[in-house]
Amino acid sequence: MTDMINEIRALCAIDGVSGREDKVREYIINRLNGKAESITTDNLGNVIAFVKGKKPADKKVMISAHMDEVGFIVTHINGDGTIKIAPVGGVDEQVVFGRRIRINDKIAVIGGKAVHNISSDERKKTVKFENMTADIGAASKEEAEKVVSLGDVGTFCCDFISLGKDKICSKAIDDRAGCAIMLRMIDEGVEYDTYFAFVVQEEIGLRGSTCTAFTIAPDVSIVLETTTAADIPPSQGDERVCELGKGAVVSFMDRHTIYDRQLYDLAFETAKENGIPCQTKTKVAGGNDAGAIHISRSGVKTCAVSVPCRYLHSASCVADVSDIENTYRLTKKLLDRIYTI
Amino acid sequence: MSLDTYELLSALVDTSGVSGAEYSAAEYAKEILSKYGETRIDILGNVICKVGRFDESKPTLLIDAHIDEIGMIVTYITDDGFLKVSNIGGIDNRVLTGQTVKIYGRKIVDGVIASTPPHLKKDSSAAADISDIYIDTGMTGDEAKEIISLGDRVCIFNCLERLEGGLVTSHALDNRAGCATVILAADMLRNEDTKYNVCVLLSVQEEVGERGAKTGAFTVDCDKAIVVDVSFGLTHGEDAADCGVCGSGGMIGIAPSLCREMSDELINTAKDKGIPYQIEVMNGKTGTNADAIGISKGGAKTVTLSVPLKHMHTPVEVVDMRDIENTARLICEYIK
Repeated sequence: MTDMINEIRALCAIDGVSGREDKVREYIINRLNGKAESITTDNLGNVIAFVKGKKPADKKVMISAHMDEVGFIVTHINGDGTIKIAPVGGVDEQVVFGRRIRINDKIAVIGGKAVHNISSDERKKTVKFENMTADIGAASKEEAEKVVSLGDVGTFCCDFISLGKDKICSKAIDDRAGCAIMLRMIDEGVEYDTYFAFVVQEEIGLRGSTCTAFTIAPDVSIVLETTTAADIPPSQGDERVCELGKGAVVSFMDRHTIYDRQLYDLAFETAKENGIPCQTKTKVAGGNDAGAIHISRSGVKTCAVSVPCRYLHSASCVADVSDIENTYRLTKKLLDRIYTI
Repeated sequence: MSLDTYELLSALVDTSGVSGAEYSAAEYAKEILSKYGETRIDILGNVICKVGRFDESKPTLLIDAHIDEIGMIVTYITDDGFLKVSNIGGIDNRVLTGQTVKIYGRKIVDGVIASTPPHLKKDSSAAADISDIYIDTGMTGDEAKEIISLGDRVCIFNCLERLEGGLVTSHALDNRAGCATVILAADMLRNEDTKYNVCVLLSVQEEVGERGAKTGAFTVDCDKAIVVDVSFGLTHGEDAADCGVCGSGGMIGIAPSLCREMSDELINTAKDKGIPYQIEVMNGKTGTNADAIGISKGGAKTVTLSVPLKHMHTPVEVVDMRDIENTARLICEYIK
């Protein structure tokens, strides 16, 4: 595994549900030690690293990735010691029941009525959040309250594993992959002065990036993300959206943003010139911090460069190592050229 | 000298044992049971151990627990390296989507049960159906076929972890919890002079219809049998009348298909020795190996002892280790 993949592994192991990104932030600030001209943490918890380039720039450029991950929040503790949870961010109920989550470093299992004790109709239905409980093993409300309080958050609890020769599988690859790519770019230095923003609360509505975009007031912005790949059977043609192993993803439009055409073209041109695999999305779906950034102040030219990723927002996001490498390469080359537009 | 329950259970759930492919679980159990008496693995894969000395004049008592677990079997490999599977035993379709799995091919590899992203889903309120799912191996079709063959087993694996109190969670606690109970009982009985010839049967293929118990009981030819399995532990939303409670002791079965005399003897033993217990009343057959063992050959007096278990047939089953230990003690005191 390369250093960058090892860094993604380390970052994915950290729990940082939206609004509670503290430990991810701590890791990033420690990593940035001495590598940026300035590092500031704002009122929301966004980390802004200003990195001096070899040359001053006549444009302000911001690259961002989000530190937060989807997860769960404790809303109630039942009399029998089980815990009611609600999703933080877009968590599909289908990937929650029958799983382990981690609340305050304690394992809880998500269960409900046993399959033997429900009707045949119920057996065919996804279990809704209101019908599942987190079980930490406490036998009573009092026992549970010793280790869990209302408002505590939980994350998927899983190992970081390899799939096949070149794929990784973990929670939180969305968007620790983006964070790791930015850290590598900072390690290696940049041509022109650049603002790197590690933002909070993307998963609950692009909130951190709204503020960093205002504070930095960039002319141009690149969002480093992961995006849904549906290259799985039985998806065909455009339903596959984008595919693992086919390189970085640059999209023309999603549910929050119509991307700047000049940047979109520049990304593909840069990819072609440098022989970097690059693809676009064949569905208008999803969204990311670009949605907040491109309409900040008087508007910001924005593009998103993403790692294609299967099963986003689950405990088992799957990404291809070559795509992460190519997303890094394309972003680095694109950053050098972005100052020329 | 005595076994540590957590270590034993942890090692048992780490072995693989989806029905019909219980080899690694059986080999591990055989290794442990060999310390207590002559142990062998029979034609179907059952582990049979004669605990201590056997004496023709004594009646034979069988202690059974099934060693297999529910899972999946590979039925097809697509050209792009995805697997189609069929269920083995009563899989809970509601837990499938997005789970990480272990695939027991020429080597053990990981996979993920593919989930269709929301924007492509017609109806996300419907749980996955086992016949529609694909398992993502992260490999190309050719790479996958090098390692994985049709008929290989797949399971959703979670190693043993501690929860609050004495509770633990993992996959396959149904019925490795029963296996641990039986092994602990054999360990306690190793130096005891008992009223019975004691024979342990860790039987295969219970989850597909009590098949191992049928042949195993025929071989052992017992007079009495105690069948150790798991039963429903009360969880949020379930009816207390239908469940045991984790931590309150083993559940002594009473049912028309079971031997009431044995149920009563177990209850009295528990009372005498101060061992916590619960009663589990069933109104016909039991849905356990007791159904097959009770009518083996000319019939055997049979009773069930169940370890209460939460979230049955999910990869996050939960038991209280004290229930395992207390059930083992009860078996031991009953046999002494």
